[in-house]
Amino acid sequence: MLSGASLHDATVVLDDRIILRSVNLVVGPGLTLVRGPNGSGKTTLLRALAGLLPLARGDRKASGDVLYIGHRPMLLRGLTARENLEFFVRFRGGDTRVIDGALRAWGVGEDMDRPVERLSAGERRRAALARVETERVPLLLLDEPFADLDEGGTTRLRQTIARAREDGRAVVIATHAHPELDDLAKARIAIDDGAATAA
Amino acid sequence: MALVAVRELRAERRQPDGVVAAVTFIAVLVLLESLVVGPQIARDADVAAALFWLALTFATILATMRSFDRELEDDALEGLVALPGGRDALFGGKVLSLTIVLLLVAVVGGVLSLVLLDLRVALAPHLLVVVLLGVLALPPIVIVDVVLALRLRARAALVPILALPVLVPQLVAATRGTSAALSGDAVGALAWAGLLFAFAVVYTVIGLTIVPAAIE
Repeated sequence: MLSGASLHDATVVLDDRIILRSVNLVVGPGLTLVRGPNGSGKTTLLRALAGLLPLARGDRKASGDVLYIGHRPMLLRGLTARENLEFFVRFRGGDTRVIDGALRAWGVGEDMDRPVERLSAGERRRAALARVETERVPLLLLDEPFADLDEGGTTRLRQTIARAREDGRAVVIATHAHPELDDLAKARIAIDDGAATAA
Repeated sequence: MALVAVRELRAERRQPDGVVAAVTFIAVLVLLESLVVGPQIARDADVAAALFWLALTFATILATMRSFDRELEDDALEGLVALPGGRDALFGGKVLSLTIVLLLVAVVGGVLSLVLLDLRVALAPHLLVVVLLGVLALPPIVIVDVVLALRLRARAALVPILALPVLVPQLVAATRGTSAALSGDAVGALAWAGLLFAFAVVYTVIGLTIVPAAIE
């Protein structure tokens, strides 16, 4: 199945404010970068692609499952990192045997059985990003994924993005930094005041 | 659905704030009841049953709000609803896990009521059926109201205001059914139990219809 998603004339209104304005966008295999200043609508664009927001106008299409990781780790407190990832993998009907290896590769091996609220922000971010390797879905939507990561984590994330891209997965990253990703990107989208244009 | 329930119960086991708050609340109310109204009136089947169900209703609100507060930390709720079928599983899973938690709270509250108020139970099996069905009918509506008020700062005040008017028929049926079972009215207890079953079904259908849309 071809990985990707599209928005056609997508408009999002939240609290009587237009956050996305008639966005037309097709995301295919490879890396797509979404860039824009704070408050420009990057997160809303990703959430719209993930189907997490109702569109006031327009429509959204996606081929296959979507993995959306927001700028908070989206892990349930009270569960360990391993239990959180097990839940996500089981929910998608995947193989849980890959979880330990993925968490170790992301440097959370020692702490995978500690409740996530006892992990640092960086460790929680690493555990969340390990989902890219445990949930083999065709479309990845990552919102500011470099936040809270140290140098090792940043390197690991770059490698993971490169591998996902080589595997033919569609990867969409919203970030206002990391210009080095431009070389890897197949498409770049600039967003400002809710209006998206190809950059 | 079962996966969401297991996830919830695991989190509750490690961070039992919801259970502890609910059990403490019901225990304090049962203790206060006999002190405030006196042992004679507190032992009356109608009074004891009414107070038990009022306490259990507020305990449900406490436990449900704590469950969703946990979901809001670190946007865990968004991680769940972003999964395919996550919105539908959320409601079923929460109902299942909260029902289990509330059964535990009901057992503690019930035993405390029986012991502290020295209640006589004329029809124990009937009482169990009424309590089970009464507990089943509680979480769906409270979950709907918590979801509707999820992003509001005043949700601690709003949830009881939204939930209690809808729950009045259920509270009446549960109180009357419990009172009937305590005083030996088998027909009355079973009739109220049937009504509670109907409420549980109706409230669950309402929840299944509203929650996936409301969570969006």
